Amino acid sequence: MVEVAFVAAAFAFAAMAAAYWYTQIVRGDYYFRLSENNRLRSVAVTAARGVIYDRRGVPLAENEPSYTLYLYRRETTNLAASIDTAVALLGLPREDVERRVARYRTYFDFVPIALAENLTIGEVAAIEARSAEHPEFAVGVGQRRLYTKTASAAQTLGYLSEATPNQIAAQPDRYRPGVAVGQRGVESAYQDLLAGRDGERRIIVDSFGHETAEESRVDPVPGRNLTLTIDQRLQDVAERYFQNRVGSAVAMDPKTGEILALVSAPSYDPNLFSRRMTAAEWATLVDNPFHPLQNRAIQNVYSPGSAFKVFLAVEGLAGGYVTPETKVYCPGYATFYGRAFKCHKKEGHGWVNLREAIRGSCDVYFYTLGKRMGIEKIAETARAFGFGKPSGLDLPNEKSGLVPSEEWSATVRKTRWYPSETISVAIGQGPLLVSSVQLARGLAGLVNGGRFPRPHLFLSAQDPQSGARFEYVDETEQRMKIDPSIVEQVEDAMWAVVNEPGGTAYLSKLAGVDLCGKTGSVQVVAQKDTKKEGLLPFAKRDHAWFIGFAPKRNPRIVVAVFVEHGQHGASAAAPLARDLVATYFGVPVPHPAPPGEPDALPPAPTALAAARPPSAPARRAPETREVRR
Amino acid sequence: MRGLFQRRRVDTALLLPVLALLGVGLLLVASATLGGRFGDLAGRQALWMGVGLALMLGMLAVDYRVLLKFSFPIYAASLLPLLYLLVFGRRIAHVRSWVRFGGYQFQPAEVAKIATALLLAYLFENEQDRRLRPAALVKLFAMVLVPCLLVFLQPDLGLALTFVPLLLVGMYFGRMRRRYWAMLAILFVAGCAVGWLFLKGYQKQRIETFVHPEADVSGAGYQVRQSKIAVGSGGLVGKGYRRGTQSQLRFLPVRHTDFIFAVLAEEFGFLGVLVVLSLYAAVVLRGLRLATHARDRGGAFLVLGLTACLFFSVILNTGMMIGLFPTTGIPLPLLSYGGSSVATTLASIGLILSVEARRFANA
Repeated sequence: MVEVAFVAAAFAFAAMAAAYWYTQIVRGDYYFRLSENNRLRSVAVTAARGVIYDRRGVPLAENEPSYTLYLYRRETTNLAASIDTAVALLGLPREDVERRVARYRTYFDFVPIALAENLTIGEVAAIEARSAEHPEFAVGVGQRRLYTKTASAAQTLGYLSEATPNQIAAQPDRYRPGVAVGQRGVESAYQDLLAGRDGERRIIVDSFGHETAEESRVDPVPGRNLTLTIDQRLQDVAERYFQNRVGSAVAMDPKTGEILALVSAPSYDPNLFSRRMTAAEWATLVDNPFHPLQNRAIQNVYSPGSAFKVFLAVEGLAGGYVTPETKVYCPGYATFYGRAFKCHKKEGHGWVNLREAIRGSCDVYFYTLGKRMGIEKIAETARAFGFGKPSGLDLPNEKSGLVPSEEWSATVRKTRWYPSETISVAIGQGPLLVSSVQLARGLAGLVNGGRFPRPHLFLSAQDPQSGARFEYVDETEQRMKIDPSIVEQVEDAMWAVVNEPGGTAYLSKLAGVDLCGKTGSVQVVAQKDTKKEGLLPFAKRDHAWFIGFAPKRNPRIVVAVFVEHGQHGASAAAPLARDLVATYFGVPVPHPAPPGEPDALPPAPTALAAARPPSAPARRAPETREVRR
Repeated sequence: MRGLFQRRRVDTALLLPVLALLGVGLLLVASATLGGRFGDLAGRQALWMGVGLALMLGMLAVDYRVLLKFSFPIYAASLLPLLYLLVFGRRIAHVRSWVRFGGYQFQPAEVAKIATALLLAYLFENEQDRRLRPAALVKLFAMVLVPCLLVFLQPDLGLALTFVPLLLVGMYFGRMRRRYWAMLAILFVAGCAVGWLFLKGYQKQRIETFVHPEADVSGAGYQVRQSKIAVGSGGLVGKGYRRGTQSQLRFLPVRHTDFIFAVLAEEFGFLGVLVVLSLYAAVVLRGLRLATHARDRGGAFLVLGLTACLFFSVILNTGMMIGLFPTTGIPLPLLSYGGSSVATTLASIGLILSVEARRFANA
């Protein structure tokens, strides 16, 4: 009996040893990996994002520390009391705190819960002072993006927000869920440059998730600081003018293509994106009928109106369709293909040559020129000046615009091209669509005598560690051949527009600098309805254009200003161009163009556009996030 | 006392592995409680080992036949704290199985187990039939199931189960008839089905976790998973003393008590496991051998009962570490931290030694 028990017991011990052999020897490697995973955790160390400066070193986007309150449930014996403490200490909304805690109910209790972001220094001190009684609270330090000029150049700079699923799918090795990634604008275009390379700390943690030691670390490589071509002084002038206005403005160095100012209005505060935006704030942004997130300078295209005439004039002379002396009689209208086309000047310009036609913006002259050239030649000219394709500006999602032609009409529009449409296109109306950046680039090419530098915002990048600088190199400059005498004649006509009595922008004449330019206005509704424009509802008023350059000899700045529903290029757009040029050359302006009237726009939720002062804390997720390997 | 050793009355083949296990236990408790919330508990454990060794010598000095004679009063007295617990006990981890006095806690079920073994021995001392009579069978069931039920109601299923080997010893070595075995087997299956309905929620959860450990990684399955990781990651030679990441970083739950064997497996590897399992096997097999030496039936059954309890606890606990059995909260005799466990285990070793020392009449 005992012998049987003896053998059975011996067998039981042998079987147990065999089971341990299986667990420890056969499956040993598997469990060893699991134990390593248990104790090792990878913590991403976010690289400091590069600072964005304007061309003179004014910081536009920088980083500032942000403090987040975390709750470690494992450290608390009474969760409800801990919530009470946090609510009382920081004056947090109780429902919000309880919702955040509830969201983590199914997680391990060593996973910290973010209770509140962007604590003030005072709040941090209050929590640290109570750390003995309340070990469950911890303050995490992170960084958040601060856009120092709030809504200024917002669409140009872009913003940071959590990586989208598409971005993560495209670069899974770089982006993790929850990581702040540049969206739109420069932040997006130069994301890789600005972001640097995140580092990684492999830490040994205990079962509470507390760090006990650091196993290894890879230091982050900070992002490069980016200097933009923007001159914030010019940007400020334009932003001020566009308060309560809708439109865009571009100022550019024609020699280099450097963008000096790029405005799109209405704007928004990109700091809103630095924290989790509320649904209401997001709705206000996307429901705004003027789409503040859009960069109107590159993403909205319009008819160029009379601003197009200067490009037509170049080919008119070069192709021999007119000579400088060719005169056309303008009685205030002209009849083509059995239909009367009005000149914007009802009483007519009388006999005008090319210079006078540009100065007074005579439509009849350009109707005649356009008819002589035909739509194909007009289209060819427009394309030569860069219309119908992206300008190449270093921002994402630029629109191409549209250069109509017979082929376009047949293949895209699927109707016949009517000859009368050619007459409209000759004065920049009809299906022709351009953006302000395209106009600025086209004008730069014109005043350069056929050299088209690529418009760009990137001036240089600097490595904050080595100090190495990377300058912009233009490899895509385009050229066309224009006779210098033709350039001179068109430039002279544009000088007359501003500087001679009878010029459409004579009121914007600037003492000290020869501002040259061309006005334009774009009909929104048929001409016969626009008799009493001032009384028209906002949405039906004409758009206003002004393109210009200065000085007349050897131009150093070109500008394109577009004011949506601004009615007249001369009154709504040219004054800003004048102020930009005056600011650029440091010339005093006796009466700077005022911002729009507060009630100039129809009621729209634009309050967010400039509401937030830079001191108001924008909020963002903490810098480091834990990822379980 | 000295005479006992001198005349080789103390069985060193049993005592030496026991002492070796005590040494291993001290080492492991020291490692498992390193920098812990309670400080280093090895000192306290050493104290309890001293108490246990004194008890062991006491048991060795007293003639077990005297104890058998008084086994019923001892048994009855040992049930009182269990009753007290049921009525006044404070719950520790769901369970009222600890009596507190002074700063110390004490688990009376361990004492009841020894008392039951004594009563069992006394029963068979006077039960000389070749086959187990039905009346004796009823007595056997009654004496084991009463403390078993009291502990079960605490409710501590694991501790209650440690009484079962006494029942099996009585049934098997008392030569119970085959048809009773069959009847009892049927009753057992039926009882399990009904019992399931009466199990507490956390007890059911433990059993469900045993069946599907992956279903609940953060809760009850967590313990099994972490102990399997600890054991498996030890490999052949282990991670080294006090270098076990699973135990030192606190992934392993109750590592100084119920899960002490996982600490051993992690820090000393399969070789350490082999050594300790061999030591236990030496104790158990030597115990069985000593049972055949006993000079009377009572002594034999006492040794068998106590050895079976030890064997059962060792196999259940070590199997628990790697998920062979559900986690039931049974300490590992001699290794686990805990005063009552180590003291009562040593006392029962003393009883076994006492039987062996008196194998020849009039010693």
